[in-house]
Amino acid sequence: MSAPADVSSGFVSLTVGAKAALITLVVGAICLILEPYAPWLVAWPKGWVLPTTDWVGSSLTWFLEGIKPVARMFSDVMRYPMDWANFVLNGTPWPLVIGLVTALGWYLGGLSMAALGFLGLSFVLASGYWAESMNTLALVAVSVPLALVMGGAIGILANEVPRVKNALQALLDIMQTVPTFAYLTPLLLLFGFGPVVGLIASAIYAAPPMARNVMLGLERVEPEVKEAAIMAGGTRMQQLFQVEIPSATTQIMVGVNQCLMAALSMVIIAAVIGGFNDIGWEVLLTMRKAQFGEALLAGMVIVVFAVIIDRMSGALATERKRYDRRVFWALVGFAVLFTVAFWSSMPNASDLTLLDPVADAVDQSLTDFTRTNGVWLDALKNNSMFYVLLPLRIGLDQAVLPFTWGFSWTSDMSQGLFLFGAVVGALIAWRGNLTGGLAFLIAIGMLETGIANLPWPFVLTGAAALGWVAGGPRLAMLSVGLLSTILVSGLWDRALLSLYLSGAAVFSCAIVGGGIGLLSAVSPLAWKIVRPICDMLQTIPLFVFLIPVLMVFQIGEFSAFLAICAYAVVPMIRYTRHGLVNTPDEMMEAAIASGATEWQIMRDIRGPYAAPTILLGLNQTILYAFAMLVIAALIGTTGLGQSIYLALGQADIGLGISAGAAMAILALIADRMVQGFAEERRKALGL
Amino acid sequence: MQKLSLGIALTALAGSVHAADMGAVDEPIKLAINEWTGQHITTHVAGEMLKAAGYKVEYATAGMMNQFQAIADGDIHATLEIWSSNVSDEYAKKIAEGNVVELGDLGLDAKEGIAYPAHVAELCPGLPAWEALKECAQNFATAETIPNGRLVDYPADWGTPGADRMTGLELPFKAVPAGSEGALIAELRASTDRKSPLLITFWQPHWAMSAYDVKFVDLPAGEEACFNDPAWGPNPNAINDCDFSPTRIFKAGWVGMQDKWPAAYEILSNYALSVEAQQPMMGEIDVDGGSVEDVVAKWMADNEGSWRPVVDAATK
Repeated sequence: MSAPADVSSGFVSLTVGAKAALITLVVGAICLILEPYAPWLVAWPKGWVLPTTDWVGSSLTWFLEGIKPVARMFSDVMRYPMDWANFVLNGTPWPLVIGLVTALGWYLGGLSMAALGFLGLSFVLASGYWAESMNTLALVAVSVPLALVMGGAIGILANEVPRVKNALQALLDIMQTVPTFAYLTPLLLLFGFGPVVGLIASAIYAAPPMARNVMLGLERVEPEVKEAAIMAGGTRMQQLFQVEIPSATTQIMVGVNQCLMAALSMVIIAAVIGGFNDIGWEVLLTMRKAQFGEALLAGMVIVVFAVIIDRMSGALATERKRYDRRVFWALVGFAVLFTVAFWSSMPNASDLTLLDPVADAVDQSLTDFTRTNGVWLDALKNNSMFYVLLPLRIGLDQAVLPFTWGFSWTSDMSQGLFLFGAVVGALIAWRGNLTGGLAFLIAIGMLETGIANLPWPFVLTGAAALGWVAGGPRLAMLSVGLLSTILVSGLWDRALLSLYLSGAAVFSCAIVGGGIGLLSAVSPLAWKIVRPICDMLQTIPLFVFLIPVLMVFQIGEFSAFLAICAYAVVPMIRYTRHGLVNTPDEMMEAAIASGATEWQIMRDIRGPYAAPTILLGLNQTILYAFAMLVIAALIGTTGLGQSIYLALGQADIGLGISAGAAMAILALIADRMVQGFAEERRKALGL
Repeated sequence: MQKLSLGIALTALAGSVHAADMGAVDEPIKLAINEWTGQHITTHVAGEMLKAAGYKVEYATAGMMNQFQAIADGDIHATLEIWSSNVSDEYAKKIAEGNVVELGDLGLDAKEGIAYPAHVAELCPGLPAWEALKECAQNFATAETIPNGRLVDYPADWGTPGADRMTGLELPFKAVPAGSEGALIAELRASTDRKSPLLITFWQPHWAMSAYDVKFVDLPAGEEACFNDPAWGPNPNAINDCDFSPTRIFKAGWVGMQDKWPAAYEILSNYALSVEAQQPMMGEIDVDGGSVEDVVAKWMADNEGSWRPVVDAATK
C-alpha cells in the first residue's frame, strides 16, 4: 500500500497513501488548534441534529401498519408447518429420534458419524433439555427451508439479471450486518407475537450465505457445460434448473451447510422475545440467575446440535461415499423395536437430570476460581483499564490522573508528546517511508485525544483518506456519505464509543489470534487443541460467555472487551492458520532448495503469501466484533449496542433501526476497506 | 401458616361483587410467563385459579419488555406482575390506544433501594445509615469510577433511580448501569464470594435478597415532596434526596377479555398475592430446586381458603 515515496523529488511524486495521510494530519492539526475556540468540532451540537430517528420511526411504523395484514396472513400460514414440525419432533419418542439420527449418521459418514449422533443426542437427553431442544429444532426445521428458498431466489436473480447484482450484494451485506436485536421490534409489530418472529429473524440472517454460494456456484459453471445446454435447445429455465444448478451442486451444498449453522445461532438470539419454550429461553433464564453451570449446560446442547448438523450436512455436501443401507435400516428397526418394547417403562425425557451435578460442580469451580484468583485478576483489570483502555477512549490528556498514573497530565506533556511523535515520524519518513511517518504522528495525536473525543471533521477526513487508499474515490465518497448520516442523526458519540470498544477488541484479536494461528500452523498438536475450542466459541449462545466474565471482572468495559474478544478472535485464528498452511508446494520447494531456514520460510514465503487470507480473517473478526457489541450491552457497555437494546426494551422502532443501521454502516465501511487492502495485496502477489 | 392464609387479600369484598358469565370456556386463556421466578409463581397461581373456575389456561413465554404488543393483539390475554419501576414506554402507548387495560394492583408489597451484601458493613462501618457512605466511598472505587465509589445501577432501560439518589444526596458515587438482571446477580455473587465491596440498586421480593444476605441502606423516607421540592430533605438544593418512591406492582390484560371471558376478567382483576406468600415459594424453587408447578400446586392445596372465595365470587 505504501511504497516508499521519493521525498527528495518533492510533493509531485507523493504516493496516494502519503497524500492521504498528509491531508488527514493537516485536518487533525487544525481541529486540535481550533478545538478550544470551537467546541462544536468535537461534540456535534444538539441543535444540528436532525430528528432522523423520529422520522425513521414514524415512517416505518406507517409503512409497517400498511403491510401488516399481509404479514399477519403470512404468519398464520407459517403457523401450520411450525405446529407440524413441533408435533412431529415432540411427539416422536426420544429413543426413536436418537435411533434415526444415529442411522442417518451411519449412512452419511460411517461409524464415527453414527457415534457422534448417538453420543451427542444422549448428552442432550441426559441434560434434561430434550423438550426445549426439540422446540428449537422445530424452529430451525421451518426457518431453514425458508432461508434456502429466499437465498436461492436472491442468488438466481443475481445470476440472471446482472444489472441488479450490485444492489443484491448490498442487500445481503445489510441482512448480515444489521444486528438482529435492531429489527426484532418491527418484526414483532408486523408478524405478531410468537415463534414466527424468531423464524423470520433467523431466516433473514441465514439466507445470505445461501445466496452467496448459489451465486458463486452458478458463476463457476464451466462455459462448455453452458454451451452444451444452449445447443441442446433448452429454454433459459431448463438450462438453469436442469444443467447449471445441478452442476453447481457442491457449492450450493456448502451454502446449505452455512445456512443451517447461521439459522441455529440466530434462533437463540430471537428467544429474547419469547413465545416459544426453546433452549434459548432456558439460556436466558439461567443467565438471569447468573447460574454459569446451568447456562453452560444449556449452551452445550446447542453446540452439540451445531456440531452434528455441521458434520452431517458437511458430509452431505462434500462426500460422495455413502454407507451400507442395510445397517441403516437395521439401526432404525432396532430403535423402533426398542421403543415399542420399553416405552411404557421409560422415564419422561424432561425429568432426567443426570447432568445437574456436573452443572453444579462447574458453577462451584467458577466460585472457587474467582475467590482464589481475585487479587491478581483485579490487578490485571485495573492495569488494562488505566494504561490501555481508558487512554484509548478518552485520551492521555484525560486518562492520566494522580490516582491512576501517579501524576497529572499537563499541556507541556502534550506538546512533548507531539514533539516526540514529530521527531520519530520524521525519522521514519527520512528512512524512506513518508506514509508511515505521517501515520505515526496521526496515531500519537489520536492517543492524546482519545477515540471518543476525536473531532468529527478529522474522523470523516481520515475515513475518506483510508477509503481512497483502499478502494479509490468511490469508497472514499461512500465512507464519508454514510458516516455523515450517523453524524446528523445524533448517534455520533455512541458510534465513536462502539468504534473504540470494537477497535480495541479487533486490535487485540489480531495480535492474539494471529499468534495462536501461527502456532497452530506450525504445530499440529496445538491445532488439535485449539480447533474444538474455536468450534465451541462460535456455536455456543453468546450469552453464556457473559456470566463467567462478569463474575471475574464485574460490570464494565473490560468485561465487555473480553467477551467481544472471546467471540471475535476465532476467525483470526482460523484464517491465519489456513493462509499459512496452504502455501503452494512449488514456492515451498524453491525456498527449501535455496536453503532457507524454517523461520525465514515463515517470514519471507508463507507470511506474504498468506497476507490476503489473513486480511480476510481480520475482516471477519471486525464483523464478529460488531455482532458481539450488542450482546455485550447486557453487561453494561454504552454505545450503539446499548441503544439497540434500549430500543428493543422500549419498542422504539426509530431508535432501534437507526442504531442498527449505524452499526451496519461502521461494519460495512470497515469491511470494504479491509477487502480493498486484501485485493491490493492479492494483485501485488499476482493471484 | 396463619400468615400464608392471609396471602391473598380479598380486594373483591371491597367492590361490588356479582357472578359473571363464563364466556368462551372452550378457548384457552393465555397468560404471559416473563423472565423471573416470582412472576412464574404469580402467574401459575392465577392460572390454577382460572382452571378451578373451569377455564382452559395456556402459559406463553414472553419477554417482559416486549409482551405488550402481543397483549394488544390478543395473542396473550393477561400479564400479572408488572413493576411500575421498569415498565416499558410501550405499555403507556398501548393503554392510550385502548388495546390493553389495567387489571388493578397485585398487592405485592415491593421495596426498592440502595443495597449491599451483609459483609460490606465491615468495609464501611456506620451502614446501614446512608451518611456512612460519604466517608467510605473510596472503598467502593474501581478503575472506571476512581476517585468516586461505584454504584451498580439498574440496566439502562429500567431507568436510573440509583444515579438519581447519588446526585440528590450528593454522595461521591458514580452509577454504572448493569445491562441486565443477570449482571446484577453476578455482581452480588462475586462480591459475596470474594468479600469485596459492593453497592447496588436492588429490590425485593427477590430470591437473591436472602441467598446473598442483602441489606438496604437506610435513606430518608421517600415522600412526595422529596421528588418535587428541592428544599425538602437533607440536601436543600436537590430533589431525589430520599428513598425510592414506592413501587406499584399491577396486572394488565387484553381489552377484549371482559367480553370474551367475563368471569375470568373478574377473577384476574380481584386476584392478589402478597410477599409473604410469594417469597417462600420463590425459595422452594430457586434455592431448593422445586418445579414451579409442584410448588404452586402444594400452596394451592394448603391455602384454598385464601383463593377459593375470589373464584367463587366471580362464578357463583
